[in-house]
Amino acid sequence: MWAKQEEREYCFISVQSSIYTTTEVNANLSYEMWAEKYRPKKLNEMMNQTEIVERLKSFVKNRNVPHCIFAGPPGTGKTTAALCLARDLFGEGYREHLMELNASDERGISVVRERVKTFARIKSIGETPFKILILDEADNMTSDAQQALRRTMERFSESCRFILIANYSGKIIEPIQSRCAPFRFTYLSRTDQDKYLCSIAEKEKVKLQPDGLEAIFEVSGGDLRRALNALQAAASLGKPITTDMVYSVIGRANPADIREMLNLAMKGDFITSRQKLREMILKYGVSGNDIIRQVHIEIFKMKDVPERWKIKLADITGEVDFRLVQGADEEVQLSSLLARLVEAGHDIKHEH
Amino acid sequence: MHAAWTVKHKPRSLDEVVGNDEPIQRLLTWVKSWEKHVPKKRAAFLYGPPGIGKTVTVEALANDLNMELVERNASDYRTESAVQKFAGLASQSGTLFGKKRLILFDELDGLTGREDRGGVGAIIQIVKAALVPMIVIACNAYDPRLSSLRFYCETIEFKKPAAGVVMTHLKRICDREGIKADESALKFIAQRSEGDVRSAVNDLQALAQGKQTLTYEDVSWLAYRDRKEVIFNVLRLVFYGKSADQAKHAVDMADVDPDMLFEWIYENLPHHLRDPHDLADAMNSLAKADLYRGRIAKTQNWVLTRYVIDFMTAGVAMARRRTQPAGFVPLRFPERIKMLSKTRAERQMQSAISSKIKKRCHISATRAKKEILPYVRIIFEDNAQNAAEMAKWLDLDEAMIEYLAASKKQTKAIVKNLSARQ
Repeated sequence: MWAKQEEREYCFISVQSSIYTTTEVNANLSYEMWAEKYRPKKLNEMMNQTEIVERLKSFVKNRNVPHCIFAGPPGTGKTTAALCLARDLFGEGYREHLMELNASDERGISVVRERVKTFARIKSIGETPFKILILDEADNMTSDAQQALRRTMERFSESCRFILIANYSGKIIEPIQSRCAPFRFTYLSRTDQDKYLCSIAEKEKVKLQPDGLEAIFEVSGGDLRRALNALQAAASLGKPITTDMVYSVIGRANPADIREMLNLAMKGDFITSRQKLREMILKYGVSGNDIIRQVHIEIFKMKDVPERWKIKLADITGEVDFRLVQGADEEVQLSSLLARLVEAGHDIKHEH
Repeated sequence: MHAAWTVKHKPRSLDEVVGNDEPIQRLLTWVKSWEKHVPKKRAAFLYGPPGIGKTVTVEALANDLNMELVERNASDYRTESAVQKFAGLASQSGTLFGKKRLILFDELDGLTGREDRGGVGAIIQIVKAALVPMIVIACNAYDPRLSSLRFYCETIEFKKPAAGVVMTHLKRICDREGIKADESALKFIAQRSEGDVRSAVNDLQALAQGKQTLTYEDVSWLAYRDRKEVIFNVLRLVFYGKSADQAKHAVDMADVDPDMLFEWIYENLPHHLRDPHDLADAMNSLAKADLYRGRIAKTQNWVLTRYVIDFMTAGVAMARRRTQPAGFVPLRFPERIKMLSKTRAERQMQSAISSKIKKRCHISATRAKKEILPYVRIIFEDNAQNAAEMAKWLDLDEAMIEYLAASKKQTKAIVKNLSARQ
């Protein structure tokens, strides 16, 4: 798992104070998000998900691509793999044969269907007789919308191949799953991520300390986009990147600190805890679903909560989750959960 | 030096009384008829909602006709014996100085309880024997306790004057006080008073006293101030109500819609129910009320509203089992409502920037907002040079740069960098 010694030393071929040199190098270039700037262009450039890449390469070789589902956690290369596949298939003019849609942003299935229809209707000319449609965040579609999508996929399967991208393949309806070749993406290993970050740090002339590198893995957990964003934001200060800097950046990027909110409630401070929740929702626009998902994870990580209580709290979390589906208010429901935590904290203290 | 304007600017003559022209005319005719002979009904019963000028009319009338007004109100005739004291006054037709006398029994609604019943009987006795005009005033003429009295009286109904009429009065006061008032401001006060001239004048004084001018902005906050007292009592019922029914009554008392009442309860609840168990139960109840709101929104089944009411009032009240009452707990305005409007612009800005990021980063705007925007913000705060280049890459406008940079100084630095590049 750990990076080899040579690779780690690789990181230190860096320059003094990076900020000036960065601008020298990039004087005429725009400053992009590194996750975009260093996004692999071809399948050959992808350094992880080796088995998947090999299979995709064979599609290119045979000039045939089935409908696919790319499932896996964020920042593991799903969109990149799809884009690389398209580029390898169609060459530099790949944009004409490719359409990227995002299920979260397009309004309703009717829009998706309309756009797919206009795109898929005209056949591709050239070596590859079909186009590719990437539907990102497909697991955010309702099952009704997915049913409609299934029919669209069947109708145009001659001229258009779909790559559905999802975090959870389980949220894709069975009939679509059975029509698609599944690809399961996994988090990057520490070694892979370190190698990648070091190579970028070198290109960007950023001094990345070993402890900084470790901290980035700690906070990103193998989500490469998150790792790169953290690296880039930390680098914007123009100093060598250390553990403290990484955590400070992450703290600033995530003022919505779920753990802090829960701890406040456990300590009995309902009002401040609710205030945190309110800021998350109103100021930072975090959705109730995201909060509840993280709360659910955090509950099982909390050290001073007896195991017996964890399952009780999970029950309440589930109830809140279901109520949100029924159209209840995020803040009110979640703060009722916080009130239960206040109660739990109180009872736990008095049990001992 | 600051007399109440309701007193200071009270109409001295019937000409100055606003509204109710027809009832006033009837009253005048009836009083004048006493000059010829004692009419069949020896008392006039004026009734109508509070603050519309019933008492003022009688006072102005006595003034106009140069009569001596003998005025009594509720506290003066609680019992039969107390009322008997006026019997003598009513049976004498004039004063020592030859002035005609007019007897007024005001605020008859104030008669309550068993003892006061005798009081009504005594008033009837006086009316029957009266040798001078008597006027009785009540808000509700159809109060069963007053039904026998009504039989001996000429009943005259006073109605709420229209907003325009109330405005005339307010305008006159402003003229006398030397205040230049906007028409719209006076209109707002008049409309809000719903015909209650007295409360309109009180409001005017509260808002305009000591000012040269009165604008609409000066008065628009009134809607809130007034509500505050009502809401305070309503919340007391919800947080301290002894029975479920009593707590439910809060909704009838509140002059805000149930959704807004919900926000008030939600905001103030943790300050009143401080025991952890009570708090959890009360919040649970509130969450249930909210769940029903969600169901209503989804199904449009408004019948479910009654359960919203149950849980947000009675449910909260009944959750109180261990919390001891504390001293005065100040009322808090629903912070969420304020924040919602304050942060709206911010959220719109975030969405606009996220759409720009989406174009560049193969990611939905929703996720861009969550996963990329926070880091872009850090770059903008920390490094003007990189920020300028990134602004170009993302095609951000100056407002967006300003939002991301978070300070004027940094914005300037970024913009300077950007223009140096172009």
